[in-house]
Amino acid sequence: MNTTKITSALLLTLALVGCANLKEVRDYAGESARLSAYMELTARFRDTYYREQPYLSGEPDRLAQDNDKRRKAAYEDLLKIHQRASLYMQTLATLAGEDTFDISKEVDSLASGIKAYPDFGINEKHVDAISNIAKVITKWMTSSYQERAVHNMVKEGDAPLQTTLEGMISLVRYYKKTNENERKTVLGFFEVEIPYADAPKDKLLATLARVHVQSKESEYKDAQQKYDDAEKGIKSIAGGHKRLLENIDKLSNDEVKATISKFAKDIKTIRKNLQTVRG
Amino acid sequence: MALANQEQVEALADNITKCANSIHDRLMKAIKNKEIDQNAAQMIFQDEASLRQRANGLYIDAANCVVDGLAESQKSIIDLIDTAKEEIKTIKKIASFIDLIADLLVLAAAAYAAKPAPILAALKEVKEDVEALSKDSQ
Repeated sequence: MNTTKITSALLLTLALVGCANLKEVRDYAGESARLSAYMELTARFRDTYYREQPYLSGEPDRLAQDNDKRRKAAYEDLLKIHQRASLYMQTLATLAGEDTFDISKEVDSLASGIKAYPDFGINEKHVDAISNIAKVITKWMTSSYQERAVHNMVKEGDAPLQTTLEGMISLVRYYKKTNENERKTVLGFFEVEIPYADAPKDKLLATLARVHVQSKESEYKDAQQKYDDAEKGIKSIAGGHKRLLENIDKLSNDEVKATISKFAKDIKTIRKNLQTVRG
Repeated sequence: MALANQEQVEALADNITKCANSIHDRLMKAIKNKEIDQNAAQMIFQDEASLRQRANGLYIDAANCVVDGLAESQKSIIDLIDTAKEEIKTIKKIASFIDLIADLLVLAAAAYAAKPAPILAALKEVKEDVEALSKDSQ
């Protein structure tokens, strides 16, 4: 009886010590991997000509066609940047994962396997004890490896990741400026043409044009919101990783956990916002 | 070098955009004051639109500069992902090792009880564990 008590106390201690404090890292990396705003905006950048084409003719149209070809040629490379940053985050989330290295299921089936042979001369209590010890030892061994692996990845990954994210922020800014020129081309067209459509016979035309302007204005307003949110999101990812690196040796500290969680929450909020804008 | 270039290209594009904006403001004033006819207005707007396309062309150049500048960081990230995947494999291998130990315990217990059927079953488990481990290390 006494042995059982000591064993359970020992198991509890081991379980607590062995628990990897990586939940916050996992949440942060998981949310970061799912932020797809950059991808959508890259597609919007690629399709610029499709939207502005009806309003263009002559020289501007010729230039626009050339730009269209070049944007389409750059598209794959622009997308790859996001895919790599996202794969990095996915891998980090897996590495920090709770279930990635969980073998309790295997150990449980093993325990029931042993129970199927009552003639062994070992009773159920022994079997449970063995399976619990196996679980705790595995958890303990894997979690120390896991923490070290996460530690290494964050440490070595920070510099190239920060450079990549900075690059993505620049790219989003170019997308935004391109979109601004597109907006002014499209809305500018109506601004110039509508005043000349003031003859009574043009009333229907002018009205339809104004209705169209209204819908275009709201489309561009939504798009502008997306560029701003995407930039905020990428900055949050960068800030979160920087904080991770700074606190890599004290990830179990409550204050650190709270900070990392906040980054995960911010990124999640931005992602949800973007989904609403799209809808 | 690439970065300076990228910034210069962006600044140039920004300035061209600003010129187009000024042209547009002046054009709208002229239309409002009825200084010009529709034909002239359309011609000026064509020029404004051309400038915007020139600026957008430069933003593509700047974007391509960013892509080129990121090549090295991208390679580091890919290497890191590969390393992490190896780590994940190693950790999973530790888990398989624990499986082996647990199965050996069953084998020992079966041998102690001298029951042929459980011994054979346990031996099979151990054999599978060892195979799984050697497959991982390949």
